[in-house]
Amino acid sequence: MNGYQRIADMTYSYNADIGLSYSSPARGVWNIVHIGTLVPESHQIFVCPTSCLRGVVLTTAEMGAMDQMSTITVGEDNILEGNMEEELHDGVVKILSSLEKKPRMVMVFTSCIHHFLAVNYQRVYKILRKEYPDIDFVDCYMDPIMRRTSPPDPSLRRQITRVLRPLEQDSRSVNFIGNEFMTGENSDMYMHLVNQGMKVRDITRCSSYDEYLEMGSSCANITFHKAAAKAGRDLEVRIHQKWLPVRSAYDYDVIDADMKRVCQALNIPAPDADEIRKEREKTEAAAAEVCALLNGTPVSVDYTAVDEPLLFTLWLKRHGFTVESCFIENFTEDKEVFEALQKELPDLKVWSSLNWNMRRAERGHEGKITAIGQKAAYFNDTNHFVNVVESGDMYGYRGIRRMMELLKEAYLEEKDMRKLVQIKGWGCHCG
Amino acid sequence: MKNWHTHVFTSTYTADVSGVCSMLYELGGMTVLHDPSGCNSTYTTHDEPRWYDSDSLMFISGLDEMTAVLGDDNVLIQDVVKAAADLKPRFITLCGASIPHIIAFDYRGAAKLIEKETGIPVLPVPTDGLRSYVSGCSLAMKAWIRRFGDRKAEKIKGRINLLGVTPIDFSNDENVNAMRRAMEDAGFSVRVFAMGESFEALTEVYAAECNVVVSSAGRGPAQYLWKTAGIPYVEGLPSGEIMVKRIADAIRKGGCTSVCQNYESDGKILVIGEEIFACTMASLVHGTPLWPDVDEGLDEDTLMEKMEQADIVIGDPLFQYGRKGNAKFVPFPHEGYSGRIFRDDIPVFTGIDFDIERFIRGKL
Repeated sequence: MNGYQRIADMTYSYNADIGLSYSSPARGVWNIVHIGTLVPESHQIFVCPTSCLRGVVLTTAEMGAMDQMSTITVGEDNILEGNMEEELHDGVVKILSSLEKKPRMVMVFTSCIHHFLAVNYQRVYKILRKEYPDIDFVDCYMDPIMRRTSPPDPSLRRQITRVLRPLEQDSRSVNFIGNEFMTGENSDMYMHLVNQGMKVRDITRCSSYDEYLEMGSSCANITFHKAAAKAGRDLEVRIHQKWLPVRSAYDYDVIDADMKRVCQALNIPAPDADEIRKEREKTEAAAAEVCALLNGTPVSVDYTAVDEPLLFTLWLKRHGFTVESCFIENFTEDKEVFEALQKELPDLKVWSSLNWNMRRAERGHEGKITAIGQKAAYFNDTNHFVNVVESGDMYGYRGIRRMMELLKEAYLEEKDMRKLVQIKGWGCHCG
Repeated sequence: MKNWHTHVFTSTYTADVSGVCSMLYELGGMTVLHDPSGCNSTYTTHDEPRWYDSDSLMFISGLDEMTAVLGDDNVLIQDVVKAAADLKPRFITLCGASIPHIIAFDYRGAAKLIEKETGIPVLPVPTDGLRSYVSGCSLAMKAWIRRFGDRKAEKIKGRINLLGVTPIDFSNDENVNAMRRAMEDAGFSVRVFAMGESFEALTEVYAAECNVVVSSAGRGPAQYLWKTAGIPYVEGLPSGEIMVKRIADAIRKGGCTSVCQNYESDGKILVIGEEIFACTMASLVHGTPLWPDVDEGLDEDTLMEKMEQADIVIGDPLFQYGRKGNAKFVPFPHEGYSGRIFRDDIPVFTGIDFDIERFIRGKL
């Protein structure tokens, strides 16, 4: 391959979102349709021009979830006649009258064109709410033109929580907000909270809309991803649930600090020093075992597998792994992480996965390489890869140990990379 | 009340921007889709079976709010100039979706500026993201012919162009090869626009004695070539022995005609799909064709009504959602509708060996 930059030669302000972009065949990252389908008993309505509809409709069709979405196509006639509001209203009414079972919640996605034509969709929702008082209408946005200020993904993670209403708060229950995957034994946070007798609510665990609404009774919201920050902040302001953001967990001190902060906020004991010591020892042993197995075999990491790939790269480097390359969109880590890598791993190859030159980059790798993430696998053309998006169900020491298991498995066994990376929304419950 | 905009149950045909990308995919150019995001991955994921195994160039411009509000076309122009310097495409195509359309992005002006800076030919294809792929394919092909077609090419006896050939309608090389072989066996020398042909081979477009419109995407360029060079065209899909003969006879007879419009329907068989496909198949089985409008797609109420009235429905499997009535359904996947979902089930439906009646019997 060619076209990378050594991290030592880069500046922190480097930003891969430079405009003209390439789309690789690796499609495992969830899009807004996948996220929206997490809401039980909901229906999604996309209001967009044909070119925008195509992707979301076929995402839905591939999930086998066509009964959960409908569309209203924006046509030239709507632009010329200025009747976007009427079209939106009448379309939604038609859809609701045609569905066999009324949804409890309707997500209406407007698009870039609505912003530019100053469509008054809030007025339409106001009317719809009066006409259908038993349905929660939520304004959602598929408007990538706004991505520099309000990208669609974090916006949707917030919007789907807008239906949560303030209920009497239960100090023994807490929400995980903004997750795509159900967490369990691979998450320190989940296991600790449950062991302390807390009830953990999460959209990924909800089987009914009523159960989802009960999340309004939790005393706090824990978010694990930056993309969930808007939701956490919004809920704190709107229904006064404490927001407890935790950070990417490839730094032991950060894990401990975040666990402690969450436990203090919830008035429960944090993991004690002995437990932390044991967790660290087990994690170090797991890392040492896998590192010895790989025995210098290079590793490549990408941003689709973990939120902060450079932070994870630093952790791997400090545990003896030979990390050769990292595929990113832009820097999501603190400057300290970047600078530490510049010193400790100056030859790390950093690839901008969206850059136009990636289309003609020579895919492949001389000798064996193990990839963590679909894009790293695709660009290195390796079947040895960890097939995970957005950290999967992993958090904390348990999460790191799970990642080590997956890395070991990836090193030892091949997967059908070509087939797997092209599946949209990897791990989606409907997939 | 009928309302073509609203689709409660059914999918959507792919858009004009995908048509542009698909039509020019194999010709060595670089297609830039002026849009914020999404149209590129939609195309590469759902509409383009060649994406994984080739390195053809297609990018999104990444238009953002401020650039659109300020009308700062220089962002796009400079990005394209830089990318062209790195990748050295043979030509560049500019197309776009709805935001460039409503801010009146000047495709021709931007194309001229890019061409001036790079020295590379630039084709402006002013799509708007509101119309179907048929429009995009057609505009792209016309723009390419206008720019690169050799007007002085000498006529070649028996030469025909098959117009409107992309994976969106034909999916795979087998369909293209079968169609080509059928027409070659019928005594013609064939150029296929635009799968499996070189850039140079297609510059001979004006050498043809006749054009064959094998999908509705080919109608626009066929009319253009008729108007500008007097090359007649025949509409029809070379599918099955009968249709291949009809097309060959029509070519030899001369003039512009369609060989797939003479369906005598008894209303029992409904064929849903791309226009030339649907009409061809309907004419062979005495069925009724139903195809999407370029601007409005398929009105879902009309679609449901017609499916309910038929005894047998031939169409893409995604049309089954929300379907009422007892019609037997014959799944015939169409990449332009369901994308890659049923790609492996798309039959070789061109060439003399395909028999639609046998196909239907095999599925019932």
